[in-house]
Amino acid sequence: MTAAAPFGQMSIRQLQDGLQAKDFSCVEVASSVLDAIEAKDEELHAFLEVTADQAREAARALDARIAEGAFAEAGPLAGIPVAYKDNMNLLGTHTTCSSAMLENYVAPYTATCVQRTLDAGAIPIGKLNMDEFAFGSSTETSSFGPTLNPWDEERVPGGSSGGSAASVAAGLVPVTLGSDTGGSIRQPASFCGVVGVKPTYGAVSRYGVVAFGSSLDQVGPFARSVEDAALAMNALCGHDPLDCTSQPITTDFTANLDDGVKGMRVGTVPAFMEAQGLAAEVKARVEEAASKLEAAGAELVEVELPHAKAAISAYYVLGPCEAFSNLARFDSVRYGYCDPGHKDLGSQYEASRAKGFGPEARRRIMLGSYLLSAGVYEQYYYPAQQVRTLITEDYTRAFEKVDCLILPTAPRTAFKFGEIADPTEMYLSDMFTISINIAGNGGMNMPVGTGVDSGLPVGAQIVSPAFKDENMLRVAAELERIYGQAPVAPAFRAGE
Amino acid sequence: MQTLEEVLERYEAVIGLEVHTELTTLTTKMFCGCKLEFGAAPNTHTCPVCLGLPGALPVPNKAAIESIVLAGLATNCRIEKRSMFYRKNYMYPDMAKNFQTTQGPIAFCMGGHVDLEVDGPAAKERHGLAKAKAGEAFENVTVTEDGYRAHVGITRIHMEEDAGKMVHFGGEEGRIAGATHSLVDYNRAGTPLIELVTEPDLRTPEEARLFMQKLRQIYLTLGISDCSMEEGSLRCDGNVSLRRRGATELGTKTELKNINSFKSLHDGLLYEIRRQAQVLDEGGTIYQETRHWDPSAKRTIVMRVKETADDYRLFPEPDLAPYDLSDEFIERVRAKLPELPDAKARRFQEEFNLSAYDARHLVESTATAAFFEECMAQASSQKDGGKLAKPLANLIINDVTAWLNANPGQTLEGSPLTPGRAVELMGLVSAGTISSKQGKEVFAAVLEEDADPKAIVEARGMEQVSDTGAIEAVVDAVLAENPDKVEQYQGGKTGLIGFFVGQCMKQMQGKGNPQLINQLLEEKLS
Repeated sequence: MTAAAPFGQMSIRQLQDGLQAKDFSCVEVASSVLDAIEAKDEELHAFLEVTADQAREAARALDARIAEGAFAEAGPLAGIPVAYKDNMNLLGTHTTCSSAMLENYVAPYTATCVQRTLDAGAIPIGKLNMDEFAFGSSTETSSFGPTLNPWDEERVPGGSSGGSAASVAAGLVPVTLGSDTGGSIRQPASFCGVVGVKPTYGAVSRYGVVAFGSSLDQVGPFARSVEDAALAMNALCGHDPLDCTSQPITTDFTANLDDGVKGMRVGTVPAFMEAQGLAAEVKARVEEAASKLEAAGAELVEVELPHAKAAISAYYVLGPCEAFSNLARFDSVRYGYCDPGHKDLGSQYEASRAKGFGPEARRRIMLGSYLLSAGVYEQYYYPAQQVRTLITEDYTRAFEKVDCLILPTAPRTAFKFGEIADPTEMYLSDMFTISINIAGNGGMNMPVGTGVDSGLPVGAQIVSPAFKDENMLRVAAELERIYGQAPVAPAFRAGE
Repeated sequence: MQTLEEVLERYEAVIGLEVHTELTTLTTKMFCGCKLEFGAAPNTHTCPVCLGLPGALPVPNKAAIESIVLAGLATNCRIEKRSMFYRKNYMYPDMAKNFQTTQGPIAFCMGGHVDLEVDGPAAKERHGLAKAKAGEAFENVTVTEDGYRAHVGITRIHMEEDAGKMVHFGGEEGRIAGATHSLVDYNRAGTPLIELVTEPDLRTPEEARLFMQKLRQIYLTLGISDCSMEEGSLRCDGNVSLRRRGATELGTKTELKNINSFKSLHDGLLYEIRRQAQVLDEGGTIYQETRHWDPSAKRTIVMRVKETADDYRLFPEPDLAPYDLSDEFIERVRAKLPELPDAKARRFQEEFNLSAYDARHLVESTATAAFFEECMAQASSQKDGGKLAKPLANLIINDVTAWLNANPGQTLEGSPLTPGRAVELMGLVSAGTISSKQGKEVFAAVLEEDADPKAIVEARGMEQVSDTGAIEAVVDAVLAENPDKVEQYQGGKTGLIGFFVGQCMKQMQGKGNPQLINQLLEEKLS
């Protein structure tokens, strides 16, 4: 433990050891983290709301438990500052989804994933910026302004969980939660050089997380170490009676982190590595990572995912259809932005939604509305579901041969603000991640050094069979031993 | 407008029903744990799920699935082992999520039927019946001794959630048109609702009414709903169209809404059939529209014209996995099926030697069926108690039903007429202690005074004199007093028997056994 390291830059174990040894208190941790956010986040803009009162209250309660000698029972995240993507409800705080539509919306209840971290002893620090309603790959669609990439402030942090990735990369907090519908955890983790886990669909409850694509959305953690991510997974995963798609899970995700990869079969997908648009520096790093795993004892096996190329097309049918329906509730009647002065319901709906939603949200709602309409539905929704089945079968077949896959996370490193203006080009940011949401299995980003051309973080994506998320964490732990722990972005490192 | 009979001579009325039933006997809503309670203070039974708050997710109520499977089994439906929930998307503040969770092409229950027994004058409304003989079959009908049996197909029964309740202010009669503002109560939002859709197999307003009555009876027997049309837990829309006799293509239909009683359903359809016939006869066009039955004005009025079909953008509900029902589950539910009205009627017929008509009408209500059974249980301990079945059935079908109809709000269970008293009353009549006319008086008195029939008969001195000696003396005296009438009678004016009976009764203050008096008079006059 470096005594000088800011608390936000410590690992869970470092923080808990210090708390246990009474080197510092939870209140000190909370205050210090809040101070650091105040000092550094004005420019970075990862946070939309800092929940200082809740943080201090939780910290005081935890200190009381420590004083009673009950630290061990306080939970796996005891004393750990955690921040949440702003599509997750935390009672009494805003849940804006980075949309003007919900600018003043205060959550009347707490999401299960948030509650699970609180039950595990986490200190709630705040709510994090994102693309509006998670529609985007850069945080540029946030109604409240983008988050900057801590590695290069002219560049995007990725998205949609950009605030979740940037705050961890900047060392403001050790753990954050994000959500991933097509790559929204993995791609920003890749752009910011941190660990980002999208667990298998059904591993984490979605109750209380504002839905984008219900059959695709999944909550997962960001951290700077595999162990921290695994500890967060332990807190997050499991059945929730309030989400009937959630499954019972009792895995200890830290259990096999030290097992190494000897004897593991790691799949590579040649077609992905030859994909148009994959930057040479990313390709080089991912291939290097694969060969280092081989050197560490893993067996590399080439597999094919023949239908994965149709994933983006299927996703941009299924995602907007579900989003259209999920976002219908934002109608200005009971909560949310209400355009004043209308005399009839129809025009109030129209004006409130036209002004409350940003362009990308409107685009997806319109698209979904069209795709579900009579006569069109049969031409798109059905084929998309069929593609979904084919892609799922591809993964099932691949996982008969391998224990996990290694792929690029994103086709390139972080791009500059405004660099990608065409929405369909932006959609390609998720070309390597989307098929995993379509199939429902787990995937995570693991930093594997920086690109030779850009000097920016490159991420390798490790993909697990459904409900075998421990496989990818085990491989990620090996990569961490090879590449070292994900570093805090240079400009934010203590003492630099 | 022409009468129904005149219209049905030339046109065939094609009627289909959509019946929404709230599963009021459940304790919680369809997709959340909120309590189901009619009449609670507005918005007191709500949570993030039924308020459609951001992030909320549905969890299906297993007890509701059991209820719909019961409904399906009771109406001869096929239970689909794999069905899905769908989202029906429409923007309206009564549905907080702006979509209703319902079912898609495959519902939990598909392809059932219910048989209707139609008797009495209304049976004649069915075209073609007059020419047919008992046992003959045509269309979906089998002719019976006292009417006909109609086979009515059920397309499906699907599960969905109810919307909230909206109240509009400032407009005419609480309508939304012209309203200045509206309030929403989400207590009802998310109430488990089953919607039954019939095939267009009904041909007369009476068939529609009987179908609803029978369905209500089945649901009440299953105990899945309180089926109150007044409180809206049982709601029905009627679709009706006309086509020329012999035509095979369906005419344009109108949809009748706002039906809150069986009578409204019958009268609304009756009016609509006559109205459509008039329009068609005058060369007009029927528009596909939703019409509202106004019982006070006795007419239907247009609510909404459907120019284009609504596009609800139905798609599978991604928050709910396809629902798989195991054989074991279905069999477990089947084992819970109570005796249904049809089976009960058959048993009554066999066990108590009743006519099909009597048995059928006894089971029209759970209360009368149960009352009859309790009566027979008590009567069986008496000598010849079984012979009381027919008189008790008559008492219940005629007198009790008339009394209940005349006293809305009264229940049989809460009335002074206990099964014991009913058995006692009919025992007195069949033993000849009182006449059947006196029986009616005692019946009224039991309800009025909450007293036992025997006590009433004693207090009023109603016991019939059945002592032959005593009657004979009176008969002799009457004949002696009226020699001229005796002569006329014997001369062929046999109608005078009534006069003699009346005179005897008068002398006996109405207590004489009329059969005995008759018998003795005839003997002595012959």
